[in-house]
Amino acid sequence: MSLITTYCHLSADQCSVNGKVVSTRERSAAGSWFKQIYKEQEFVYPKFYKMDALSQAGFLASELIKRANQGIVNSYKDDEIAMLFANQSSSADTDLRFMHSYEHNGAPSPSLFVYTLPNIVLGEIAIINKWYGENMFAVLPKFAPGFFADYGRILLSTGAKAVLCGWLGVLGDHIEVFVWLVENESENGLDFNKENLLELAGI
Amino acid sequence: MDNLKEDLKKQIIEQLNLEDITPTDIADDALLFDDGGLGLDSIDALELIVLLEKYHGIQVVNPEEGKVAFRSIDTMAEYIRKRKS
Repeated sequence: MSLITTYCHLSADQCSVNGKVVSTRERSAAGSWFKQIYKEQEFVYPKFYKMDALSQAGFLASELIKRANQGIVNSYKDDEIAMLFANQSSSADTDLRFMHSYEHNGAPSPSLFVYTLPNIVLGEIAIINKWYGENMFAVLPKFAPGFFADYGRILLSTGAKAVLCGWLGVLGDHIEVFVWLVENESENGLDFNKENLLELAGI
Repeated sequence: MDNLKEDLKKQIIEQLNLEDITPTDIADDALLFDDGGLGLDSIDALELIVLLEKYHGIQVVNPEEGKVAFRSIDTMAEYIRKRKS
């Protein structure tokens, strides 16, 4: 049976893992909210600072899930973890920043340009972890638990033993991130179905 | 103190989002694209080209020039002074 074993939420003000708050935004703090979490959680990955907000969200959520569930690092071969992400706004957050860079700053920014596709976040996570499993990023009208449940099951029945799933809603100040891990061989967790996803997501 | 080199360090930190690094962390002769130096990558090289045009009005049109110019802060400063003279 496939179970949801770990999950992480990121909103505009809070970051939680398995329902427990691990960071609360300090509006007076210098830098962005995601950078605040990065520093508070003492992650060490300098490339984080070069990532766009979508990739930073994916990085933080996946690292927090790994920290809460050490098994994901040790229990699977590098091609046994698939990734299935989606959102509503694709890479619009960075697309707009890129447009601004050439309309107002005189030159298009190469480092912004490389993030003007939503699936780059999957590459970032795959590179960090050396995961070579299947991956997909879908752009959907709204959070669709049925999509994740159906496609996730396909991945789990065609070679993957775990799937890192995520809804990465990041556009300007709007942050609605829900990332969760589904595992085939685990004894503890919630059934991986659309009803549980809808309840856990809170979206 | 060489103002041009100090300015270059600040501009690189800003343009490349090197948030954990301060100008004093960058030695004038440190290799920018070496892991022992700043560990920059190919996208950063493009950002350096943008930086030279944005802050110094210099267009790098010959890739071979960039290879030499972007070795270190020393070589960048030398390249800028040469192009402006």
